[in-house]
Amino acid sequence: MALPKRIIKETERLMNEPVPGISAVPHEDNLRYFDVTIDGPSQSPYEGGLFKLELFLPDDYPMTPPKIRFLTKIYHPNIDRLGRICLDVLKSNWSPALQIRTILLSIQALLGAPNPDDPLANDVAQKWKEDQNAAIETARQWTQEHAKP
Amino acid sequence: MNQYRQKYSLAQSGELAHRKSIPPSKLMVGHDFSQEFKDQPALDPHGDARQLVRLVQCRSCSKPLSAPVTLPCGHTTCRACLAPTRPRDNISYPNTPDRQYGITCKICDEEYPTVECSADVTLTKVMEVVKQTIARVQDTPEAPVCVLEEIPVSEDDVHDSNDEKELTSYQGHRKEFRGGRLHATFQMASDGELRYNSDVQYRASPSDAQIHAHLDAELFNGLREAAHSELDCLVCYNMMLDPTTLPCGHTFCRHCLVRVMDHSSICPICRAGIHIPPIAIQNYPSNGRLVALLKSLSPEHVQARVEALESEEDNSEGALSTPLFVCTLSLPNTPTFLHIFEPRYRLMMRRCMEGNRRFGMVMYNRSSAPQGDLGPTSFLQYGTMLEIINLELLPDGRSFVETRGVSRFRIKAYGQLDGYYVGNVERVDDVPIIEEEQLERQEVLEAQAWADAYVLENPQDPRTPENFPGLLSTDELFRRCIGFVEQMSQRSAPWLSSRIVNVYGPPPDNHKTFPFWFASVLPIAEEEKYRLLATTRVRERLLIVYSWIKRIEGQRWPSGNSCSIL
Repeated sequence: MALPKRIIKETERLMNEPVPGISAVPHEDNLRYFDVTIDGPSQSPYEGGLFKLELFLPDDYPMTPPKIRFLTKIYHPNIDRLGRICLDVLKSNWSPALQIRTILLSIQALLGAPNPDDPLANDVAQKWKEDQNAAIETARQWTQEHAKP
Repeated sequence: MNQYRQKYSLAQSGELAHRKSIPPSKLMVGHDFSQEFKDQPALDPHGDARQLVRLVQCRSCSKPLSAPVTLPCGHTTCRACLAPTRPRDNISYPNTPDRQYGITCKICDEEYPTVECSADVTLTKVMEVVKQTIARVQDTPEAPVCVLEEIPVSEDDVHDSNDEKELTSYQGHRKEFRGGRLHATFQMASDGELRYNSDVQYRASPSDAQIHAHLDAELFNGLREAAHSELDCLVCYNMMLDPTTLPCGHTFCRHCLVRVMDHSSICPICRAGIHIPPIAIQNYPSNGRLVALLKSLSPEHVQARVEALESEEDNSEGALSTPLFVCTLSLPNTPTFLHIFEPRYRLMMRRCMEGNRRFGMVMYNRSSAPQGDLGPTSFLQYGTMLEIINLELLPDGRSFVETRGVSRFRIKAYGQLDGYYVGNVERVDDVPIIEEEQLERQEVLEAQAWADAYVLENPQDPRTPENFPGLLSTDELFRRCIGFVEQMSQRSAPWLSSRIVNVYGPPPDNHKTFPFWFASVLPIAEEEKYRLLATTRVRERLLIVYSWIKRIEGQRWPSGNSCSIL
């Protein structure tokens, strides 16, 4: 099946005008599958880390959101052990006017502003609430350990 | 549910005339529309300068649109030119502040609540770039002078406006500008000296006119390029096709909007609720100004877009032409009732209604068993082609569909289209009668021979038709099955209640189709019934059905309980 114009245009724009700190490169054999990297935002425990993600555009994209998962291990209350992300715009708040670029920016923003009140990784969220400084330290260590560029 | 539907139909017969339900042929948009665009001639920037400027002139104040508002009727005026808001009397529901006052369209006299009269975001941006582009060529002192004379079009126009005195002064009204016709005409409109309906007569020497034509072409190209990026639909990233503006002021291709509303009823950009039933979007007025602008700015783009959409729809009729509904077991000659709510299947139903009204029904592959050459697919490889007999579209976009099994098929290849499966299927039919006969003869004789041999070895345990159905003739199998149904019917088996017979009909007196009927009424596992779909012989099917009967009787007889569930 031919690739919809929208995906071609989005890909071109991602290549030609990349977002600082974010890259998304489609696989040659499957143009709906992207290798994504996101730099940890500055002044966050993820600063200095380079996080790898995989992104897949389902058949009915953009009517349904892209499927995204962290491949790099990350200590974050809204990202679970399998790398799944709890983010409203990836689920019920998706809108076809959003795009790969905006979604990746949202994920980067989520790294800068963890939300332990809406957790996906319960244990992490618990730690985050009980002893935020210790949790941030753990996140920093994990970043050092797993997300080295 | 029924109550709700009734209420809805009452509303339809009333003031919501434009929201009437639509005939199936209209379910898929784009086609009537594409006809309209075939062979649309491009407007010539020099010769049709007057017409081009009219596209961006307000009908009310005759100036280029400023802060345009497009009402739900598709008509546009400047915000300042909207009729004054008036209280909407005798409306008590919904009682929100933004619906208590209304604005009447000056063009069609329809009244809309203020909340539905929002700034037209796309047109506002287009007007911005148009004004910027024209401002850039504002002063071209070296350009030859173009003389314009306003010609009021007809007496009607004169009477339309109340102040005739003022109008007489318009007669023979002349202006001079340095620059091409397009620029000069726009300028005249900006100065408020060119009425919307008026024509313009241009005067320039032939050599000057040539220079003007060149300037016009240049400006027109500049406008085209500048406006182009503003005219893309934010859902499909293509140039808008049949632009449709929501009450919140955001515009999308109509067919994009229809697909968006399969999934949610909020505007993709501002998330304002769309209080238009999904089925009414098809008949919702287009944004007249944008349609006209697109037609004149880039007719070739619009044309390409129409063709691309058509070929997109056609592609689905290639090898993988059968839409596959993965849901339940359906059988030939019997009805299946569906409630469609999933977005992908709403789209599939629309396409089916537009096409041959047929789709394939296949069961889930619960055990993940490999399906022939297909491998372990999520659905089973044999299915039933269903024909839509009746489709009742609910106002919220769901639908109730009544279908009837037409034929059986096997899936040879499959793929996905917009979220649902499509397949290349091959019809499964019974072998010719002559072969059926030969095989019956051969099988019965073989069974007899085997039974004879068996009894020689086991004299105490002879093989009879009771414990070895292979001995029965095809007709005898059928008679026994019918007999079982009659017997069960006399015992008032719940699966033969009048309600069920009303839906599925009485048992057909037809060896070929009886097993399908029987399977559709008999309450046993669907996986067991599925075996019928792959059969290619009547006898094969009757043997399967008879084996069910034997099993049921086996369960029932020992207990001797007349209160058995079957």
